[in-house]
Amino acid sequence: MFDITGKRFWFFLISGVVILIGIISLATFGLALGIEFSSGSMMTLSFEENVDHDELRQELANLGYTSAIVQRTGEGDFYIRTATLSTEEKINLEDALIAKFGGLEEAEFYSVSPMIATETGWNTFWAVLGAAVGILLYVTWAFRRMPKPFRYGTCAIIALLHDVLVVMGIFSILGGILDWEINLMFITGVLAVIGYSVNNTVVIFDRIRENLTKGVSSNFEVVVNNSLVETLSRSLNTSLTTLIVVLALLLFVGASIQNFAVVLLIGIVAGTYSSLFIAPQLLLIWERGEWGRFIQWIPIAKAKGG
Amino acid sequence: MTRKNTLVFLVILAIFAFAICALIYPMFGREQIRLGLDLVGGSHLVYQAQFPEGATGEYKARAMDRALDTIRSRIDKYGVTEPIIQKQEGERILVQLPGFTDIEAAKNLVEQTGFLEFREVELNNGNPVYLSDYLESEDPDFFDKGEDGSRIFVDNNGNPVAFLIKDEEGNLSYIDEEGNPIDIEELKQIDEQIKEKVLLSWIPARGDDGTQLTGSFLSEATPRPDERAGITYAMKIGIVWNEEGGIIFDDIAKRLYSRPDDSVERRLGIFLDTVLISSPQIIEPAYHGSGEITSPGGFTIEEANHLANLLESGALPMPLQKPPLYEEMVSATLGAGFIDMSIKAGIIGIILVMLFMIVYYRLPGALASVALIFYGTLVLALFKLIPVTLTLAGIGGFVLSIGMAVDANVLIFERMKEELRAGRTLGASIEAGFSRAWTAIRDSNITTFIVCGILYWLGSNIVASAPVMGFALTLFIGVAISMFSAIVVTRTLLRLLVGTSLAQRTSLFSVYSGRR
Repeated sequence: MFDITGKRFWFFLISGVVILIGIISLATFGLALGIEFSSGSMMTLSFEENVDHDELRQELANLGYTSAIVQRTGEGDFYIRTATLSTEEKINLEDALIAKFGGLEEAEFYSVSPMIATETGWNTFWAVLGAAVGILLYVTWAFRRMPKPFRYGTCAIIALLHDVLVVMGIFSILGGILDWEINLMFITGVLAVIGYSVNNTVVIFDRIRENLTKGVSSNFEVVVNNSLVETLSRSLNTSLTTLIVVLALLLFVGASIQNFAVVLLIGIVAGTYSSLFIAPQLLLIWERGEWGRFIQWIPIAKAKGG
Repeated sequence: MTRKNTLVFLVILAIFAFAICALIYPMFGREQIRLGLDLVGGSHLVYQAQFPEGATGEYKARAMDRALDTIRSRIDKYGVTEPIIQKQEGERILVQLPGFTDIEAAKNLVEQTGFLEFREVELNNGNPVYLSDYLESEDPDFFDKGEDGSRIFVDNNGNPVAFLIKDEEGNLSYIDEEGNPIDIEELKQIDEQIKEKVLLSWIPARGDDGTQLTGSFLSEATPRPDERAGITYAMKIGIVWNEEGGIIFDDIAKRLYSRPDDSVERRLGIFLDTVLISSPQIIEPAYHGSGEITSPGGFTIEEANHLANLLESGALPMPLQKPPLYEEMVSATLGAGFIDMSIKAGIIGIILVMLFMIVYYRLPGALASVALIFYGTLVLALFKLIPVTLTLAGIGGFVLSIGMAVDANVLIFERMKEELRAGRTLGASIEAGFSRAWTAIRDSNITTFIVCGILYWLGSNIVASAPVMGFALTLFIGVAISMFSAIVVTRTLLRLLVGTSLAQRTSLFSVYSGRR
């Protein structure tokens, strides 16, 4: 039988490093917010003729849109993001581009006013907070017959925060490199990941509960380890089937739901990791009061690693 | 047990058959799965209504309802299928036009107030009054003491330069279109730049009882060919007044007709949203309830249709803030591309998941795959019947739920394998697998439901709600149905197998005794 719980400090270390890199990236690059949250206009234009990315950017700058974001999204297709455009400004902009680059079709146009952006930001904040509180309460309630049910809820929430941090960190790196933005699809993806990750955690907690009730062992570590091993193939298989469909989405649809699919991809991996290696291990450490030991262990791990 | 199981199996078959029929044939008046704007293309606008300070709640509510009716009747003339025009919290108006991708035209159609009013030139001792007269006047007061209404000064193109109003204390002040005060010195400069005297003072045209003539007295407005000499293919608008409007109009016509010949004093100014669209001369003393609106060069067909539509639907009871709070336009080709791509993604996803299940779990995996087909069909049928408006994100939610739908089966099969390894019979293992996995399935899916609920709340509280809402709904339906298909359908199929020769071959259940 695998000894998973014995390596618990290593799991924390790995997560810690990934999250730390993410936080450094967040501090450096920040998160690029989409127009839903920061207001502005964006459009996707399909040019009939071949248009050079830099020329387009230059032309936009000439027209006064110096801070416009320009991305090539396909053959002759460009994503352009500017400050909020009025009807006249938009018509003038498109006319100028037609004059310079020839015929174009507007495939998409979105414009969000500052008022709506602020509102959306707040509502999203409340939704994420509500999801966290709801899940904490629910998991605590689901494990109410266990001693210290609040610990189950808390560990599930920490695992969830872990996943959100990993996703945000990696996204901030992608944002820094590829100009990816945090949009509503991203938030939808994050909330889906939250649900997914807790779903996995609950399955493992459920097995811990069952094994504790059965009295498999008086040693909590053995119980946790057994539960993990017993549910291991389930955890991996479910993640695999979900990853398959997410990959299909990413490869075949891409574009508009690219953010969403990538969040799910990262989130499912992080969520599977955290429900196996973070949440149950935290439960164990908490049960044993090992926090101090973990801190002392870190330099040893460094010495071993170095 | 077996008889009951056969019965359940028949019920499942019946549901499956029903779902297939529901997808193929129109049912409950629904022809097809309803697709969101991002898939069919179209425009989506959200406007903020602007009310004067101190407007009562009741007044606002009535005005909002009238505005919705007005916008609806304007849009109806364009033959948009299933437009959505709704009021939203915070005095907002949502307009969704599926298939209508000319967002500029859509905005023009919705946001134009469409306030038609008739004005005449202010007179001072029989002479027309110009802006310069007011600007040079020592004692600023209206020249026409009998008329307290606003004065509009328009340039050669008919665009308003300034408005002159009298406040409650009797002081005159100049304001612009947005109601901001204009400096007199600035106005003097503008007046001097326009050399000729053109900035006439237009005052409201009123009937003998003092009622101002506005578009609200119109009963019909129809585009007609304009057959005046010198213009080709031009249009005009034929108008028909209601009874009261006809009387007021004739009062005004009589008065203007009786004035000295061929001069500005005989003109009737027709203003749409404070822009002078034409100023015809009144050449008859009475028009008996009908008339026409022409423009100097004639209207184009589009202009005439638009204007007639605008006039007939009436003015918006309040202006809408420009630009809109939210604008969205997706072209139809882009949407069609998304549909093709997501169907491809869904089919490939479902095939790969089925392959994985069959390779890993063998016979039960094959049964779970059958359940997955049942699942997919039923969910799509429900989308159509409820109906759920399917957006790109909604399809994402559905495809994701395919991957998650087998989760309950995975849980159950893993459990079954454990029981088989522990030496139970197949029948006992199946029952134990299902009953023991149940708490985990229930508790874990509830967390997904919580998230769906939160997403639904978020979707109903934000303006760009389609992606969030669509995802929440499809994921919720998907997970709920997946519990049914994984538990009831797969179990029924497995029970049917128990007792057949297939069930004797443990290799089909991918359990190898002594492997571990």
